[in-house]
Amino acid sequence: MTDTTIDACVPVEISDDDIFEAMTQIPGYLDITPGDFKEVYLKSYQHALQRLTRSVHVKEVMTTEVAAVLRSTSIREVAELMARRRVSGVPVLNTDRSVVGVISERDFLRTMGDEQSATFMDVIADCLRGGKCLAAPMRIQCAEDIMTAPPVTVNPDTSVMEVANIMARQRINRVPVVDATGKLIGIASRADVVRSSLVR
Amino acid sequence: MTFLEKMKGSSQSPPRVSVSEILLSWLGSFLGIAAVALLNFRLLDGSDLVMIIGSFGASAVLIYGAIRSPLAQPRNLIGGHVLSAVIGVAIYKILPEAPWLASSLAVSTAIAAMHATKTLHPPGGATALIAVIGTEKIHALGFMYALVPVGAGAAIMLLVALVFNNIPKSRRYPEFWL
Repeated sequence: MTDTTIDACVPVEISDDDIFEAMTQIPGYLDITPGDFKEVYLKSYQHALQRLTRSVHVKEVMTTEVAAVLRSTSIREVAELMARRRVSGVPVLNTDRSVVGVISERDFLRTMGDEQSATFMDVIADCLRGGKCLAAPMRIQCAEDIMTAPPVTVNPDTSVMEVANIMARQRINRVPVVDATGKLIGIASRADVVRSSLVR
Repeated sequence: MTFLEKMKGSSQSPPRVSVSEILLSWLGSFLGIAAVALLNFRLLDGSDLVMIIGSFGASAVLIYGAIRSPLAQPRNLIGGHVLSAVIGVAIYKILPEAPWLASSLAVSTAIAAMHATKTLHPPGGATALIAVIGTEKIHALGFMYALVPVGAGAAIMLLVALVFNNIPKSRRYPEFWL
């Protein structure tokens, strides 16, 4: 697996002039050009970022009280649970607690809209045009009918850096954390990943 | 960057130091060179020994004028000079009849050796060169050249740098020893 640099984590853009100004504040002749300093700064920033995110495992930042549903849970109950727990996605489990899929707001929108890639605003616009409840036909469906499967999962010892890469690559907002047998033990959201890299 | 683009340069010169810094560099280097020059011209005058060689002028630039530079640290000052001196003498002994080859080999080998031992000190290149193109008095010293004037002279200049560079509030020396 290659390490891709996370675009969101570029360091503060310092200019050669900033460095020049800083150098004038340090007495004595500094045997380095502003350009060289900048190169060192950018490279060391990347190293620091990797060190900080590699050293943190997803089990340290994941949420363990996961709102989850079963394959057979009705869509209405799924929606109610997501609303009550204020989450935008839930893992779908087998009866043995192994993760078989994930339902996110996007799955609801996809099912409600005409096209595969419906957005929230597509659905709103549709509602305003027709005046009917687009969710109505979903009443008879259950979780496994609209979930995204197979799910992308990680194990507890995956580094937060790797989780961030997976989220960026797969364009997903949360990833269930499973044990060796595939059973759910937690979930890591984008917010968990961001918090772990900033609040430290 | 293309070949020609590289030649245009991509950064800027570091800032000019303050007037007080200039005066400190002047005074420090005056004292450092005075110490070895006094020994050379007052004490050893007329003897077979020399204490001062040209490359010390270059060392003074670093250890009194750019004291934070990695090139100016004790490891580099002493290590770079002594190592280069040994290499210069050895190459002169091997190739006394081919001064052009001995000169170039002495300098290039000294640089490579200083790199490999993390003792890069630009004046070391001059020290190696002087071992080849120096006077008969220098040649007569043989490997002693590495100890006196090179080792001893560098040590005296280091001593002056240690005392002088730690007196002003704005200076501290060295950054590291080994």
